[in-house]
Amino acid sequence: MADDIRALSAQLAQDPQSLVFLRLGEALRRKGQLEAALRVAINGLERHPHLADAHDLYARILTDRREYERAFDEWDMAVRIAPNHTGALKGLAFLYFKVGDLAQAESHLEAARKVEPDDPSIDQAIAMMRAGGSPPAPAPPPEPVAPPAPALDEARVFAGLEGANEGLLLIDGAGRVLGGALRDRSGADVTDAVAAYLAGVSQEAARTAKLLGLGAWNGLSAEGQQGNVHLAHPTAEALLLIVRERGMPLGRLAILAHRATAMARRWLERGT
Amino acid sequence: MSSRATPALDLITRVRGVRGAMLVSADDGLIVAEQLMEGIKGGAVAALAASLAGRLRRAMEAAGTGTSVFWHLQAEQGALLVVPDGNSSVAGGGGILVVAVAEPDVNVGLVRLELLRVAETVI
Amino acid sequence: MSPQTRAVENWTLQPLTEFVREASVRLVLVLTPSGQVLAQSGFSRAVDVMSAAALAAAIVASTGELARQLQQPPFAALSHQGPKHGFFLATFVSDRGTLAVLAVYDLDVSSLGLVQLFYEQLAADLKAASPRTTVPKQVLAADFERELTDSLNTLFGR
Repeated sequence: MADDIRALSAQLAQDPQSLVFLRLGEALRRKGQLEAALRVAINGLERHPHLADAHDLYARILTDRREYERAFDEWDMAVRIAPNHTGALKGLAFLYFKVGDLAQAESHLEAARKVEPDDPSIDQAIAMMRAGGSPPAPAPPPEPVAPPAPALDEARVFAGLEGANEGLLLIDGAGRVLGGALRDRSGADVTDAVAAYLAGVSQEAARTAKLLGLGAWNGLSAEGQQGNVHLAHPTAEALLLIVRERGMPLGRLAILAHRATAMARRWLERGT
Repeated sequence: MSSRATPALDLITRVRGVRGAMLVSADDGLIVAEQLMEGIKGGAVAALAASLAGRLRRAMEAAGTGTSVFWHLQAEQGALLVVPDGNSSVAGGGGILVVAVAEPDVNVGLVRLELLRVAETVI
Repeated sequence: MSPQTRAVENWTLQPLTEFVREASVRLVLVLTPSGQVLAQSGFSRAVDVMSAAALAAAIVASTGELARQLQQPPFAALSHQGPKHGFFLATFVSDRGTLAVLAVYDLDVSSLGLVQLFYEQLAADLKAASPRTTVPKQVLAADFERELTDSLNTLFGR
């Protein structure tokens, strides 16, 4: 196995664009080298953001790391790209099974079986569910988000959402921070600096959409060289910025943004 | 550039849902080359896309995400998709923006690919 | 109304205010080809207004003559870009007569494309708002100086 990993690594180094990262990532994952597998998967996703197999690999690694919510998002993305992707269908089935939703789990397994009727593992899983195999004990409730430092108290608006204390920023129309916080790659707090620019970006986006006859704007997403961002407005006055690492594809970022926008809207409405 | 621009812009405008494609001077907000359907105001697209690109660049630099490789403005009745070339990452760098105006349900992934291809081959 | 936007002829005020806001320009003059200023925005000294108006009028006159010698219609607009600022000078015909607009903008804040885009709206708004030209009265030297002083006082809110 170690020789395989070396050989695959060499191949990938020679041609970073090739799909050998899929086999390398899987080999590292099976060996338990999850950090290395994660790096390989993320780099591969950056180069192939619309490859369902890349999302499937990433999801499997996240599952091994017990990051089930993110794994769900990745498999969800994989089936959006390739509705017949059996790896993603089985992965989703597994996650539904873990939370006790047997109906959804079986439905996804049935879908996988239609694509690969000769896969014995699918038959076994379905048989177990129909025989009343008990789901695993419900996952313990997620640990509450650690109270943020006093300077970042507003982060509670996104409590429970991944990256609540970094990479999510809610501001009002005047550029004042309402919730969340932002740090740059060196860990420095850049919340205020970014908030100052956002109002201008939002006004220009609104003007651009209006003057070009595009209607009301509802989102602005951007890929940067070192990270991706999505800007939305949960209410007419408030702006929400989500910043994530480069490896998170814009499509997934949009899904995360949708959730964060809904949370922000509810929080704002409770506060008024 | 104009002899290379037209076939390059063709690649973008043939994607279903794209209503126009342009090359825009990032500093001036002026049109370098265009292929637009009736009703698209090219001068306005160029000026406003360049202005928004500049503001977004500054915000992203402050956020530590580096300069923009691709951005997508989503609106109720349309979308604006832009790929800045390397030079337009720097204020006054004299760069070019590759711009597409599209329907709201356009295949964003496909347009993005074509914009990147044009940015690599024409500019 | 921006405290820095002032007009001798009130009908220019609203269109000019909107132009300054949308195009994010730093300085603007609306003037006649003879150099008479109808409105200004962003200037803090009278001498700067007089200098800019005189120079802009001279540029309009010389480029108009150049076009005439080339047997071309008058140039609609010209622009110049320096390391930090750009300027844009354009003329249009209204019921008030031919008018010129001089705009100066920071390259970090605005662009030629934006200025051109919103200038078109400014010209349309000024044309729509302009009164018909009244029969010009004979100007006496004393009247001229008094009118110039009155104009400058109005333009600087004194």
